[in-house]
Amino acid sequence: MVLEVRKPRPLWEILFSTHHTDIGLLYIIFSITLFFLGGALAISIRTELFLPGAQLFDDSNTFHRVFTVHGTTMLFLWVIPFAAGIGNYLIPIMVRYKDMAWPKLNAVAFWMLPVGAALVWLGFADTGWTAYPPYSILRAPGPAAEMWIFGLKILGISSILGAINFVVTILRMKHPDLPMMKLPLFTWAILSTSLILLMSMPTFTAALIMLYTDRLGVSGFFNPAMGGDPIAYQHLFWFTFHPEVYVFVIPAIGVIYEIIPKFSRKPIFSYTSGITAFILLTIVSFASWAHHMFATGMSFSEKTVFMIGTLAAVPASAMHIFNWIATMWGGRIRFRAPIAFVVGGIILFFLAGAGGVVNSAMPLDFLTHDSYWVVGHMHLFLMGIITFAFVGFIFYLFPLITGRMYNERAAMVQFWLMFIGVSLVFITQHLLGLYGMPRRVFDYVPVEPLITMNQISTVGAYILLVAMGIFLFNLIKSAGWGKPANMEDPFGIQEKYYDYRRREPHH
Amino acid sequence: MGHGTLEWVYVGVVVAVLIYIGADAWNVERFLDDAPEEAEVVKVTGQQWFWTFEHEDGRRELGELHLVKDVPYRFEVTSLDVIHSFNTPDFATMIDAVPGRINSIWYVPDQAGEFLIQCREYCGFSHYQMRAKLFVEEPPGGAEQGAQVTNASATTTNDLIPPLGAAAVAS
Amino acid sequence: MVSYSALILILVAVAVLTLLGVDSAVFGQETTQRYLSARIEIWALFYRLMVVAFVIGAVVMGTMTYVVWRFRESHPKNRADITPAAGGAHH
Repeated sequence: MVLEVRKPRPLWEILFSTHHTDIGLLYIIFSITLFFLGGALAISIRTELFLPGAQLFDDSNTFHRVFTVHGTTMLFLWVIPFAAGIGNYLIPIMVRYKDMAWPKLNAVAFWMLPVGAALVWLGFADTGWTAYPPYSILRAPGPAAEMWIFGLKILGISSILGAINFVVTILRMKHPDLPMMKLPLFTWAILSTSLILLMSMPTFTAALIMLYTDRLGVSGFFNPAMGGDPIAYQHLFWFTFHPEVYVFVIPAIGVIYEIIPKFSRKPIFSYTSGITAFILLTIVSFASWAHHMFATGMSFSEKTVFMIGTLAAVPASAMHIFNWIATMWGGRIRFRAPIAFVVGGIILFFLAGAGGVVNSAMPLDFLTHDSYWVVGHMHLFLMGIITFAFVGFIFYLFPLITGRMYNERAAMVQFWLMFIGVSLVFITQHLLGLYGMPRRVFDYVPVEPLITMNQISTVGAYILLVAMGIFLFNLIKSAGWGKPANMEDPFGIQEKYYDYRRREPHH
Repeated sequence: MGHGTLEWVYVGVVVAVLIYIGADAWNVERFLDDAPEEAEVVKVTGQQWFWTFEHEDGRRELGELHLVKDVPYRFEVTSLDVIHSFNTPDFATMIDAVPGRINSIWYVPDQAGEFLIQCREYCGFSHYQMRAKLFVEEPPGGAEQGAQVTNASATTTNDLIPPLGAAAVAS
Repeated sequence: MVSYSALILILVAVAVLTLLGVDSAVFGQETTQRYLSARIEIWALFYRLMVVAFVIGAVVMGTMTYVVWRFRESHPKNRADITPAAGGAHH
C-alpha cells in the first residue's frame, strides 16, 4: 500500500484501519515522532551539562524529570514501536499471508501506545527510567510516578499483544509451501524478539503492580520499613530488562541482514549460523540480568555466575558480525544510504560490545557502574547500532511506504554527521565515567577534564541535532515531492524489492 | 566448503578471548573480595543527601572522613532512606547503600591527600551534590613530616579533584 | 574435523597461558606488598583488557575498512560486471 502524501486517503481510513500496512505506518510515524521528541529532551540534558552549574533548568528536579522521560521515551516509544512497525509491514509479506494473524488485536496493540505515551509525558515523573524503590515508592512525587507506572503498564501490555500476534503470524500463518528454514532472517529476528518479550515482560508487569501497591502503602514488597527488600525489585526489573536489551537489538540485527546481502549483491554468508546466533541470544539473554546489580552487595559466587552468563552472549553477537563482514566480502557493494548506515552501525556495535565486556568483568564494574561510562556504553548500543540500523531501514523502506525516493545526498550528509556526532558524544562519555563522573547528575565538580569532556559531548549532541534536522526535512520533503521511485528495484541493485502491491485495506 | 571451518575457528578465538577475560577478572575479584581480618571497621550511613561515618572507637564524622594511610579499612555501608551508592573514585571502590541491609567493602588507602566521596546511585533532589571529603593522613611518626606538609598544601583546594586514570595507574 | 581440533587447541593454549600469567602476577603482588590495593589491581586489569580490546578492535576495524574499500562497486577491480547471484538467492 503506497501512501500518497499529496493525494492522501481520508485520515479516518488510515486511523481506523486494521490492515497490517496501515498499522505498520502508524507505528512507524508514531515512533519517529517520539524519537524526535525524546531527542529534544536529550539536547536539553546536554545543554544543561555544557558547563558546571545550572544552565538551562532552575533546579535539579526538572532535570531529573527530563532524563526520566527521555529514557522511557527512547526505549518504549521509539525502539520497540519502530521494530513492531517494520515487523507489521514486512512479516505478512515475508510469510506470504494476507495480514497479521489477528488484525483487530494488532490495532488494539497500536492504539494502546498513544495512551501510554500520554501518561508518561503528562506525568513527567522523576524516578529515572529504572524507578528503583525505595525512592520510587517513598520519595518520588505523585501523581507523576503513578502515571509513569500506569503508562509503562499499558506499554508493556501493548508489546505483549504485539508479540503474541507476531509469533502466531510467523508460526501458524506462514504459507504451507514455505519451510521455517527458508524464512528471511528478519522473520527469525522478529520471532526471537517476540518470544523474549513474551517470556520476560510478565515479570516487570507484576513488579509494576507491586510498585503501585507499595506506593499506596497497602503493601511493603520493596519497602524495608515494612519488611520488604528493595533489591527484589531490581531482580524483577532486570529479569525483564536485560532480555529487553536483546528485544531492542535483535530487530536491528534482522534489519542489517535484510540490507547487507541486497546491497552487496551476494547471498548471506551463512544462513544457519544467523539462525543459530538468534536462538543462542534468545536463550542466553535470560542468563545475565544481575550483572546490572554487582554493586548491590552480591556475593562472589553470584557475581561469577552472572559474569559468565554475560560473557556467554558475546559469541552469538560475534557470529553476527562475522556473518555480515563475510557477506560483504567479495561482493559488489553499492553504497547507498541504507548500507552506509548499517556499516557505521556495525562499527559502533563493536565499540559498544567491547565496552560491555569491560562492564561485566567483575572488578571493573566498580569502576564503570553508575558512571558516565555506562551511559556512553548503553547509548552506543541504542544510538549506535539500533538507531543507525533503523534509520538505514527507514531509507530502505521509503520507496515502499511513499512510492518516492528520498534525497540521497542529504541522507549521506546525515550519515556522516550522525557518525561523527555519536562518536563524539558517547566515546567521550566513556572517558567521563573513568574520571568518576556519576550518571544522572545535574551538576559536576568544576575541574578541567570534566568540563572539557562534557563540552565535547555537548558539541557532539548539537551535531546530532543538525543531522536530525536534515533527516526530518528529508523525510517530509521527499515524501511529498521526491522523485517517484522505480518500485521494482528502487535502488538500482538488480535485487528483488518488497511486494508493494498489497491488497487495499478494507476490513 | 570454507564456511564451517572458518566460522568455527573464529568462534573458537572469540571464546578463548572471553575465557581469558573471565578468568583474569575472576582471579582479581577473588583476591579483592575478602577483607583482611585486622581491618578497621568504619560504619558508613547514607541519607538524603549526606554521609555520616562512625569509627571503631566511636568517633563520628559528618561529611568528612579521616583515614590513616596504609591501614586496611572495611566499610559497612547502609542507608536510612533510599538507595545510595558509596563511591570513592580515587580508590576504585563503590558499593550500594541499601536500606535494611549492610554491605561491606574494603581498601587500603595507599596515597595521602584529599579525595572525593560521592553518591553514585540516583537518590533524588540533591543527588548530584551528595558528596563528602576523604582525608587520608600519614601514619603518626611514620613518614617524614616535611614531605607530608608540602604534599598537603599542594592539594589544598576547595574542589576535590576527580581521579585521573593514568595517574592512578602510574603509581 | 579440522575445525574442532583447531578449536580445542586454541582453547587449551589460551587456558594454560592464562593460568600461568595470572598466577605469576598475583604472587608478584603479594611478595612486594602486604595488602592488595583495589585501586592498583583494578586499573591494571582495566589496562590489560584495554590492550585486548584495542588489538581486537584494530583487527575488526581494519577488516571492515578493507571490505568497504575493496568491495565497493566503484573499485577498479569491481568494475567488470559480475552476474548477480541467481535470482538474488536470499533465503
